[in-house]
Amino acid sequence: MDNDEREGAGLDVVLESVGNFSLIGLSGEVDVYSAPKLRETIKDLVDDGKYNIVVDLEKVAFLDSTGLGVLVGGLKRLKHHDGELGIICAQEKILRIFRITGLTKVFPIYRSRDELLANVEEA
Amino acid sequence: MPADESTAFELEMPAKAKYVGLARLLAGSIARRMRFTEESIDDLKIAISEMCTNAIVHTGNGQEGLAPILVRFLVGEGFLTIEVKDHGPGFDPSCVLDRESTDLLSQGFGIPLIKSLVDEFVCDSEPQAGTVVSITKFLAGENGKT
Repeated sequence: MDNDEREGAGLDVVLESVGNFSLIGLSGEVDVYSAPKLRETIKDLVDDGKYNIVVDLEKVAFLDSTGLGVLVGGLKRLKHHDGELGIICAQEKILRIFRITGLTKVFPIYRSRDELLANVEEA
Repeated sequence: MPADESTAFELEMPAKAKYVGLARLLAGSIARRMRFTEESIDDLKIAISEMCTNAIVHTGNGQEGLAPILVRFLVGEGFLTIEVKDHGPGFDPSCVLDRESTDLLSQGFGIPLIKSLVDEFVCDSEPQAGTVVSITKFLAGENGKT
């Protein structure tokens, strides 16, 4: 399992490989200050040929529209490569933002890493 | 905003992204003291984050030497109003106030999010005159109301 860690800007990013997915584990706050780190992380993975990405938001304390914009931008980038960007999140306060913006229909959302793994095994 | 007697707090901050978290922290603290529910506190933190982000982007996105952003909190009987004023180039507010939130993927999520999370949303802007965005959330119906 690859493991790379980046820190700073109130947002920690941990990279892992889970099955065919590149898993981006976030902890902290995703806003206008920290979102560029997430954008760069996704861009680096795509540039590296990783087209199936899952972003784990379970340890994210705050996410606003800048963070959503980065996720949508990442999804669009991945779609160009027939890839996918999924979300792991069971936090109601975060899921509510996805619902309000209609993004629950855009991203595959898994309630936990176990649910993601179950889907990976089924695929 | 409601014409009620209120206590005002002001935060003048540089128009830089790294200070948005500070405004969010202050909004959360004030709302918690007012006994808003945790859900409403989260709503207010997102709203102020969106307002400050817009102000920073409109003011020059972190360039040095630009005018600061003014964040004003009005704590009233049963409501919290937050105003964010920038000294950016301003714009025609009808372009955001009249927007239908049916195509968020291409138009952005910020303004529709704010509108859906607060009770009142006012945007006052004129070209070359800066922008004041104001939101109000009421305590009515809150579980924590005293």
